[in-house]
Amino acid sequence: MLAGGGRGPIIKKGPYEAQNLEVIEGCRLPVLRKNQENEDEWPLAEILSVKEVASRKLYYVHYIDFNKRLDEWVTPDRLDLKKLQLPKKEAKTPTKNGLPGSRPSSPERDVRKSLDLSLQTPTAPPRGKTVPTPVQNHFTSFTHVTGDITSIGCQNTECTCCCIMGCRTKCINGKRKANCVGTDEDSQDSSDGIPSAPRMTGSLVSDRSHDDIITRMKNIDCIELGRHRLKPWYFSPYPQELTALPILYLCEFCLKYLKSLKCLQRHLTKCNLRHPPGNEIYRKGTISFFEIDGRKNKTYSQNLCLLAKCFLDHKTLYYDTDPFLFYVMTEYDSKGFHIVGYFSKEKESTEDYNVACILTLPPYQRRGYGKLLIEFSYELSKVEGKTGTPEKPLSDLGLLSYRSYWSQTILEILMDLKSDNGERPQITINEISEITSVKKEDVISTLQYLNLINYYKGQYILTLSEDIVEGHERAMHKRHLRIDPKCLHFTPKDWSKRGKW
Amino acid sequence: MSKLSFRARALDASKPLPVFRCEDLPDLNEYASINRAVPQMPTGMEKEEESEHHLQRAISAQQVYGEKRDNMVIPVPEAESNISYYDSLYPGEFRMPKQLIHIQPFSLDTEQPDYDLDSDDEAFVNKLRKKMEITPLQFEEMIDRLEKGSGQQLVTLQEAKLLLKEDDDLIREVFDYWTRKRKACKSASLIPVVKQEKRDGSSTNDPYVAFRRRTEKMQTRKNRKNDEASYEKMLKLRRDLSRAVTILEMIKRREKSKRELLHLTLEIVEKRYSMADFGGEVMAEVLAQRALIKPTYTMPLIPLSSNQFRHQDHLELKDFKPKPEKTEVVRTKRKYEKKPKVLQPSSSVSQQSGHSSLPAFNAKDLNQYDFPSSDEEPFSQMLSGSSEAEEDSDPDGPFAFRRKAGCQYYAPGQGSNWPWCDPGDPRYRYSLTTLTVPHRCVGLARRRVGRGGRFLLDRAHSDLDNVFYGLDPEMHSLPAQSPNGKLASTSESNTSDRPAPPDLGHILLNIKSCRWRHFRPRTLPRDSDSSGLYRGLTRVSMANPRTQTGGSTSQSRTGPGPAPAAALTAEQYQQHQEQLALMQKQQLEQIQQQQAGNAPGLVSKTLDSASAQFAASALVTTEELLAIKAKEEIVLGIGVNGVLPGSGVYKGLHLASAAPAALVNTSPPAAVAATTTANTAAPAFHQPSAANSSGMTAQTPSGHGAAAQVLMGNSVRLGMSSAGGTVNSITTLNARHIPRTLTAVPPSALKLAAAATANCQVPKVTAASSLDMVVR
Repeated sequence: MLAGGGRGPIIKKGPYEAQNLEVIEGCRLPVLRKNQENEDEWPLAEILSVKEVASRKLYYVHYIDFNKRLDEWVTPDRLDLKKLQLPKKEAKTPTKNGLPGSRPSSPERDVRKSLDLSLQTPTAPPRGKTVPTPVQNHFTSFTHVTGDITSIGCQNTECTCCCIMGCRTKCINGKRKANCVGTDEDSQDSSDGIPSAPRMTGSLVSDRSHDDIITRMKNIDCIELGRHRLKPWYFSPYPQELTALPILYLCEFCLKYLKSLKCLQRHLTKCNLRHPPGNEIYRKGTISFFEIDGRKNKTYSQNLCLLAKCFLDHKTLYYDTDPFLFYVMTEYDSKGFHIVGYFSKEKESTEDYNVACILTLPPYQRRGYGKLLIEFSYELSKVEGKTGTPEKPLSDLGLLSYRSYWSQTILEILMDLKSDNGERPQITINEISEITSVKKEDVISTLQYLNLINYYKGQYILTLSEDIVEGHERAMHKRHLRIDPKCLHFTPKDWSKRGKW
Repeated sequence: MSKLSFRARALDASKPLPVFRCEDLPDLNEYASINRAVPQMPTGMEKEEESEHHLQRAISAQQVYGEKRDNMVIPVPEAESNISYYDSLYPGEFRMPKQLIHIQPFSLDTEQPDYDLDSDDEAFVNKLRKKMEITPLQFEEMIDRLEKGSGQQLVTLQEAKLLLKEDDDLIREVFDYWTRKRKACKSASLIPVVKQEKRDGSSTNDPYVAFRRRTEKMQTRKNRKNDEASYEKMLKLRRDLSRAVTILEMIKRREKSKRELLHLTLEIVEKRYSMADFGGEVMAEVLAQRALIKPTYTMPLIPLSSNQFRHQDHLELKDFKPKPEKTEVVRTKRKYEKKPKVLQPSSSVSQQSGHSSLPAFNAKDLNQYDFPSSDEEPFSQMLSGSSEAEEDSDPDGPFAFRRKAGCQYYAPGQGSNWPWCDPGDPRYRYSLTTLTVPHRCVGLARRRVGRGGRFLLDRAHSDLDNVFYGLDPEMHSLPAQSPNGKLASTSESNTSDRPAPPDLGHILLNIKSCRWRHFRPRTLPRDSDSSGLYRGLTRVSMANPRTQTGGSTSQSRTGPGPAPAAALTAEQYQQHQEQLALMQKQQLEQIQQQQAGNAPGLVSKTLDSASAQFAASALVTTEELLAIKAKEEIVLGIGVNGVLPGSGVYKGLHLASAAPAALVNTSPPAAVAATTTANTAAPAFHQPSAANSSGMTAQTPSGHGAAAQVLMGNSVRLGMSSAGGTVNSITTLNARHIPRTLTAVPPSALKLAAAATANCQVPKVTAASSLDMVVR
């Protein structure tokens, strides 16, 4: 697999002579990281960027088949240079867990991206220190390194096309892809390489339209928000001069970004907010929800979006916040109403979306707040008398959260079904949808996921296994944070009649 | 797989699904493979991410254990909490309000500077504090203004001084500091802001550009129309608002100049006071000097004239608001214009001129907006006095004009479809009138009978009034000189359509030639026989009993002896009709004879009997006669009523009536000047109201025998004048009141009249002989 590598001008020594090997963007190698059990792991990673800080090199690595949020800057000592793979396209890199259908390696994506980049913005600064040159292996050297368009021969371009085609073919097989494409209006943009603005509805982009090397990498190291320090997961377009700071300070209540603690202190003498600047529409105990109009309160909405983008990969901040409402969940203590999470919602959705973006801030994650947010979003839909579904694509955490919520909601209904006049209780999918405001498709997918739908003797039936019932009861026992509809003071507005968002 | 050969039915969302517990269905597994027929739903995730290791692990763990195990959660970057300085950073407590928090709109807009002081700034401010006073907030505000005042280019010091309110030293210090810091700073602003979209679209792919404006607003179709309308409304609103801004700007300018004016005035007064110019001599001197240079419009600036002084005093009382007088002049003018004063424009004209003669300060440009000046109201009150107020409060009272529903009101046209607007038109209701006392022409007038028998003269305005006023009243009364001098006091001319000649000469000519009716009541000379003419009121009348009908409306006030009323009986009327027919016949014959042998240029027309009857029955008022004339193109004689003053003399009243059988010859226009001839055949019915004597009195004055006057009935005189131009008139000096009842006309009188008519037809009038103006 390294046959051509030796002849490449970038490789000065043999790949196994690790000490002298220059690790460049696109290289792959095992990188040390701690797993949740705090054990050392050496997952395969790809070098996305190299920088030198105080005469010491740092490498931005993406762990293959791990979510981007785990990407990080590592010191050279964490690299296992002995297993360095030269930048190339190796589609068949064995994944660590060997699961089938693992995601395509990131370099392949970057090939397309960099091609897009080079076509769109020829002035993009070259990122690679070395210029990739054609080598025998056509699949090499087409990573994001190719910032300099002049260095890309047409041969390479052709090869890249092959790569893209290959990739797409792979993606397209199966009908599920078709479904994805259905929701992905921008997928064509990336394939023909012509930049275009993302669609103006919704707040999520499906992949690629902005997935260039800049947005691939986290740009904020650390955010201080109230009591918490947050490690951003993804890129966020905070003012560029602030990205170099070790810590970005946010005002906990108005979410204004400040470059230093001193500035934050000064700001706090002037900022008297102690809650999100909107109307409180729900309060039970310490949990409150505030509604903020993205048109009326632009500053806060934008600050919130900038913060949220740090934790949402597919969120786009391309357009203004006018068509959205923001529902901010807070927890009260003596200092004020602290933001826990939020979801945004289009004022008018053409696709039954009742949530655009949804986020529990990391310090509050895995404590039931996410489900609370989801539950609240469906309570709003119930008041509106509509069914709704979250905007796609879902993130991994989003999928898990929603599935969990849907499962519990549906199981709750099914378990509570009473048989009248001694017959078997029965229910239609539409009924479930009406009761829960969960869109029909989501109900079906949840039933499938839980494996409740069975075809039995000529008809579909719902079956509740013991495992399911037990698991559900356990989960519901742990789920003590619930939305109380009686505490909701919400009047839906007909935004279509206003003519404006 | 063979089990898949039969396909499960599609899942129907509206079909009830029975819910089973698995333990109730032990044989479920046998059917399990069919479940695959249920289409898989997409997860909604990105494909690549869906396959991510941790997710898959979590999903499988969930499916295995039903609930996630702790070590199977998706790892995320760690976050530390519990910032030690948190409590000091966010001091104080916030009590949860009992009610849900409700944000008032705009309550969030605090005027706090966006710029936040950093450590460098703090050091600078502390250093600066030793020299001058400055607080961190003040500093932030200054930087904030400087930052927001700068675009691509930095604010200059000059601009900074305008932007900042502090004193110059502080501004300079802060400005220098800011400039240095700004230059060292790489970013576009010291206040960090999210990158803005560039206009040229070059920022389409800049990942740091966020929150772009949506160029196309997403709209549902039903709103589009509404949006268009509201867009137009917004445009209009914008235009109106900008207009308002313009107006306000101009007002600002005006008020500024007014203040300036005041200051100047004050200055002048002070100067004069200081140099003890109480008598105004110095001022006058200066004025005189200045007048050589700028004679006129320095006037309002210099309070010299008494008029001006008064204004100045007034102004000083009025909170020092000098007033451009012109303003309300214009305003009052407009008000006057609104009032439909047709007949008496002179008063308003004079008023206007009075106003505009006031010293005017030019503020015309403002007036076009009709924008009330700050001090206009008191002033206009003063100037226009109470009259304006009265006008405002319904001047006509209950008689005010009110539009009637269903009526169409036309604007006063230039005689468009109103043919009798033209004085030249025979149907014009006003005739040239000359009073006896004072003896002058009063222009166009018409007569009407008022209460108690008073005669009212309605005067009509005409452009030629000046000409009329200047007319020599005696012009026509000199029969010797004027070839067409009339013997009768009333002269009328019959003219067919004739354009109103614009030039004076022509008009005079028309008047002279009697193409315009000219009513000139004449006093009876004391010696009525001196001239051999009877001067009095005459009217042309036909020997038609109807005339009396009409005539009965005329009254004379002063006649002493009331005349016994005689009734016209139907029988008499019948007789008269017959006579009339006879006369007509004779006339026709004569005319035919004449035309056969005589004056070729003569156009003669005969009244048809219908018209004659109509004419005869006509009342005095001319308009009814006009109706006939419109048809006939012959202007029949119109009685003009005059007032005869005079000692013991009646004030006669005349009926006009048509000359029934009269042949009216209208000469061709070429001969207009003097050749209009009328056949003298017309028997004149003099109807002095005083004539009460029943029976017929014929007076033959000195005229040729042809002329005969017949007094018919109690009040009718038939006057026959010959071509010679004698006027036959019979007057009884004691003018009598004519009863309204019909007076009887003795048949004999009629007969006589008829005979006279027949005889008196002097058909032959050559164009050359100009004297044929016949009094009828």
